[in-house]
Amino acid sequence: MSGLTSWRLALRLAGRDALRHRGRSVLVLVMIALPVLAVTAADVIIRTQDVSSVEGLDRRLGSADAQLEVPAGGAPVLQAFDPLDGNTSTGGADRVPTAQQLADALGGARLVEQREGDLLVRTEDGVTYAAGTEVDLRDPMTDGLFELASGRWPAVDDEAVVNQAMLDRGYAVGDRLDLVVDGAPSPVIVGVAESTASRGYPLAAGRLGSLGIEVSRAAWGMGPAYLAAGGPVSWETVQELNALGATVLSRAVLTDPPPDSEIPDEIRGWSGGTDDAMIAVIVLVVAMALLEVVLLAGPAFAVTARRQSRTLALMAASGGTPAQSRRVVVGGGVVLGVVAAVSGVLLGIAVGWLLVPVVQHWSSERFGPFDVPWPHLVGIMLFGLVSAVLAAVVPAWIASRQDVVAVLAGRRADRRPSLRSPLLGVGLLGAGIAGSAYGATSASSGEFTIAASAVVAVLGMILLVPVVVVALARLAGRLPLSPRYATRDAARHRTRTVPAVAAVAATVAGVVALGIGVTSDEAENRGTYQAMLPMGDGAVTAPGLTDEQWSRLQDTVAGKLPGADLTPIVGVPESSPIADPEARSYYVEAHLPGKRDGEPLLDGWGSSYGSSILAGDRLPSIVRGISLGDRDRADAALATGRAVIFTDHPVDAGEVVLRASWWTPGDGDELPPVTVPAAFVSYTGTDRVATMVLPHDVLRQLDVPTARVGLAVGGVGISAESERAVADAARSVTSDAGFYVERGYQMPDETMIAQLVLAGLGGVLMLGGTLTATFLALSDARPDLATLASVGASPRRRRSIAASYALVIGFVGATLGALVGFIPGIAVSYPLTRGYAEVRAHYLDIPWLMILGLVVALPLLTAAIVGLCARSRLPLVTRVD
Amino acid sequence: MSVRQALLALLEEGPRYGYQLRAQFEQRTGATWPLNVGQVYTTLTRLERDGLVEGAGDDGAGHVVYRITEAGSDEVATWFTTPVERAQPPRDELAIKLALAVTVPGVDVGTVIQQQRTATMSALQDYTRLKRRAADGQSREDLAWTLVLDSLVFGAEAEIRWLDHCEARLRRAQLERPEAAPATPAAVEREASR
Amino acid sequence: MTAVLQLREVTRVHGAGETEVHALRSVSFAAHPGELVAVMGPSGSGKSTLLTLAGGLDTPTAGTVTVEGQDLAALGAAGRARARRTSIGFVFQDFNLIPALTAVENVALPLELDGVRSRTARATARRALEEVGIADLADRFPDHMSGGQQQRVAIARAVVGDRRLILADEPTGALDSETGESILRLLRARCDAGAAGVLVTHEARHAAWADRVVFLRDGVVVDETGADRADALLDAGATQ
Repeated sequence: MSGLTSWRLALRLAGRDALRHRGRSVLVLVMIALPVLAVTAADVIIRTQDVSSVEGLDRRLGSADAQLEVPAGGAPVLQAFDPLDGNTSTGGADRVPTAQQLADALGGARLVEQREGDLLVRTEDGVTYAAGTEVDLRDPMTDGLFELASGRWPAVDDEAVVNQAMLDRGYAVGDRLDLVVDGAPSPVIVGVAESTASRGYPLAAGRLGSLGIEVSRAAWGMGPAYLAAGGPVSWETVQELNALGATVLSRAVLTDPPPDSEIPDEIRGWSGGTDDAMIAVIVLVVAMALLEVVLLAGPAFAVTARRQSRTLALMAASGGTPAQSRRVVVGGGVVLGVVAAVSGVLLGIAVGWLLVPVVQHWSSERFGPFDVPWPHLVGIMLFGLVSAVLAAVVPAWIASRQDVVAVLAGRRADRRPSLRSPLLGVGLLGAGIAGSAYGATSASSGEFTIAASAVVAVLGMILLVPVVVVALARLAGRLPLSPRYATRDAARHRTRTVPAVAAVAATVAGVVALGIGVTSDEAENRGTYQAMLPMGDGAVTAPGLTDEQWSRLQDTVAGKLPGADLTPIVGVPESSPIADPEARSYYVEAHLPGKRDGEPLLDGWGSSYGSSILAGDRLPSIVRGISLGDRDRADAALATGRAVIFTDHPVDAGEVVLRASWWTPGDGDELPPVTVPAAFVSYTGTDRVATMVLPHDVLRQLDVPTARVGLAVGGVGISAESERAVADAARSVTSDAGFYVERGYQMPDETMIAQLVLAGLGGVLMLGGTLTATFLALSDARPDLATLASVGASPRRRRSIAASYALVIGFVGATLGALVGFIPGIAVSYPLTRGYAEVRAHYLDIPWLMILGLVVALPLLTAAIVGLCARSRLPLVTRVD
Repeated sequence: MSVRQALLALLEEGPRYGYQLRAQFEQRTGATWPLNVGQVYTTLTRLERDGLVEGAGDDGAGHVVYRITEAGSDEVATWFTTPVERAQPPRDELAIKLALAVTVPGVDVGTVIQQQRTATMSALQDYTRLKRRAADGQSREDLAWTLVLDSLVFGAEAEIRWLDHCEARLRRAQLERPEAAPATPAAVEREASR
Repeated sequence: MTAVLQLREVTRVHGAGETEVHALRSVSFAAHPGELVAVMGPSGSGKSTLLTLAGGLDTPTAGTVTVEGQDLAALGAAGRARARRTSIGFVFQDFNLIPALTAVENVALPLELDGVRSRTARATARRALEEVGIADLADRFPDHMSGGQQQRVAIARAVVGDRRLILADEPTGALDSETGESILRLLRARCDAGAAGVLVTHEARHAAWADRVVFLRDGVVVDETGADRADALLDAGATQ
């Protein structure tokens, strides 16, 4: 029989067999199609979400051929094909090209100027930031930047369009936009338009000058931008414009990019190259998924192999080659694999299409057009096919190795387990433990070593499952009938049992390992949590408020929290109030005498309370992270007029040099330094509240004013409701106000969700694997069930046997999996909770409840479900005369 | 009936006279084939004439004792090592009866078969009952008796198997040519119940 | 002596319409304590159907099946199962034993299913194994026993707990003649001890061990042998 003919025959036989055993075929199809479907849908959604450069061109260019921007760094500039992927300026700030120069370089193209900036808008609640765009929206070149939903485009400078988010803030078409800043224009809203690039953030657009956006703020360093129309702009032209000092986004270059070698060397490394870590993770995930599918679908194929084993044995006895007999079983894998892969992909595309609007709703980005990544899908289909064939091949290989004599003699059992596999399994397990230990102690990238070792350990455990199952059967003598039968029968039919137990064990191992990682991480968060305030106290923060606004805020809060102690937090104003942008902002630097350029005293700056330089004659209560002894020392120092400087290393000195500087939008200067006596206090917190506390006298010496930067609230219990009320009240004064109440460490919802998802996933996979194996076991056990019927077993006995099967598989699998899962779980807690280099720490928290649930409760639940779902009719003996 | 060789085999054990030989034979074969004393003496005379036995005188009670000769021993040895020929099977009354019943019109062959089977079965039951009792004994003689019994048992069984086979053969012939073949009781009933 | 098993005018029809098959037609049959009845017939004669009806594994389309005075059809499925646990013992040609259980566990099966405590059941089972002469195989699995040994265990299970009715369906089918004969001796011994036995077989030699041999053809009893034919006829007549 030629190769092709025998394959055709094998496929035909396989197809017929699949149709005959519909239940089993459907089970296998589901096992293989589900992962394919999930991966396809996820891929489709991600690709749709990911707006590639080409797809996003219209959003940035409208209908123009190119967009030019002049960065403040000046000529020449270097850029990647898409300037957003990377651009840099290598020249001075002086040579800013004019519009005419740019147009000439483009060969006389028409340019339309475009300005983008931040706007301050007064709203119902107060004041908020918004995005502003100034460009002539009636010019055909801008078609595609915005979508007009209602009304019309602005025709004159006194008009503007806004988006829905702005309307939500209290505006309507016909109102005037109140742009807060003195002297800012207030255009009339004539239409509603949505940006094609983003949604959810308030936005206004109008003609040049309608919104008061300033160009070329020296501080931010962005020059004017232009849209150009005048024919495609080639890469050579782009480089000419680069020489002039402008970056260019050219439609022609992006739709048909030149070879990568054209990218300037300085830029080359920036654009997203392949991320090694990402690839490693993907490979690992694919490997585990493949393993799971093989383990879950394997038992179904094993039963096929068993059914055909008699035929195969007869073939072998009459001279057929094992290859020919294997082909029939592999053919089953091919047939079902193809059907499952194709249907999984098609369904996945459909599910992805259905889910895109749902995911879009939760995302702030606008998704691109529905994108089906065909090359990926081919890969996914192959994955489904390969896993199906693998799931068929392994049992087929086992079936063809079996004892021909035993099968023909009708002995329904597998061979005695060999010693080779368990020894290999112990070896792999040992290697996994060693790898995990190595990964735990290694300085970096330990997670990947541990993940790889986990896979190795799981493989080793899988090889040990037969031994465990057989050992369990030996001990089953004392059990009642149903569990005793189930245990021994499971050991007799290892081809069917081992994959199911292994699937459950692999799942549980993964869940336990990840669970330990997550909870240990949580323990670290809990352990390293720094209370920002005394427990139960609160603080109101609001950037950029004037003193008068603070008074109003304080009164409002007092109204909401009667009886509370309200203490203003006073500090150096590091930013100007929103309402008074011309006011001075100050900053104070501290260093040891003579060590201006030495090691900073406190690495890092930035405060959550409006200022990192606090003022006062006593240590404000919001400063935490200081030992009690140090608190007293700091209080004493402030009382005697000394400055208190926070450091992250012990400093032994008595004086500090303070340098103050101030700036406004157009100006700035340094003030003369002052040396004052100081006390140095170690700050061990992770949140930066302040870098120093200065007595008022010292500040007067520095000629630096103070202002209210926050409001400390204490003295009463603050319920969640009051917290909300105070926060809302604060926001009524300014929309950026916030109210924080220290309630200790709160486990974030994501962790809870992560744990629930893990447990849920584990449960679903365990149920799936157990159901498969039990379903197959029951059909295998028909003769025994008939014997039981003849001996007088009640029909309900079938249920208890089904439940016992499920219990054996679930319990053995979960126990083994939990034991093996501890290894990578404990190991991964080391790198996860290591903390910073100086702070060698280790947190290990084992979620005993979840593990107990997985090992005890879940198998029992699964067994109960299986027992309830099993039919309670024993096959009665029908002997054909 | 190879009485000659049987007597020779008995004489191989030692010299005996006629009545002794008969008693021994019947004991060994469970009196399945009863022997006539006259038959014994006639056979002994012929054996003596052929030189296979010789007279051994009187035993003092008036019995003529015979002894086996060397030629006779050879004859016994040959008999034991030569398989029984089946060249000329004895006339089987049952086979003749059935053969005739099939061809003679008006005879219900099925009933003939059934009645014979029942009778043979009863006989088989009797043999088996005897075998049950004989199973307790341990001596070589008892073993010999069981072997003989078994030959009867297997013979009866073979007959019943043959009868089953005849019946099946007849039914098949009936299905192929319903008008020609004679009826069996079951066929009649089926016809009646339709 | 009242019969342990009594079939009165039992009919069993499979299928309907054109594909109807009459497995048994108005068959009357009885088995008494101490009696071994053999049922012979070609394939399709209904002998296995008779056995499954006698054991309550199937219900007749018409007629009654009575075991130890109880109408099996009236008992319901649970009651019939109980009868199989306590009064009736089955021996089949093959797949008698559950391979996942040892010999003694197999024999103890009906007792354990009936709720007898494990230890007591095992002890009773061991006694039954002794009676059939293979007490030393008690802890072996069926895979490691010869066919004859397996059938002995099956018989032990069929008689454990002093069952009164043993139903054997070609128990010697897969065995050689010597081993088969020893199995029949066992059955005979049990019947001599007071049980009633029904033996379905196609081997005349084995059927000969019975007290009565019943011939089935096309679902009807066509003849029967037996020492006490008169008793059988009287029995049948008395219950009309």
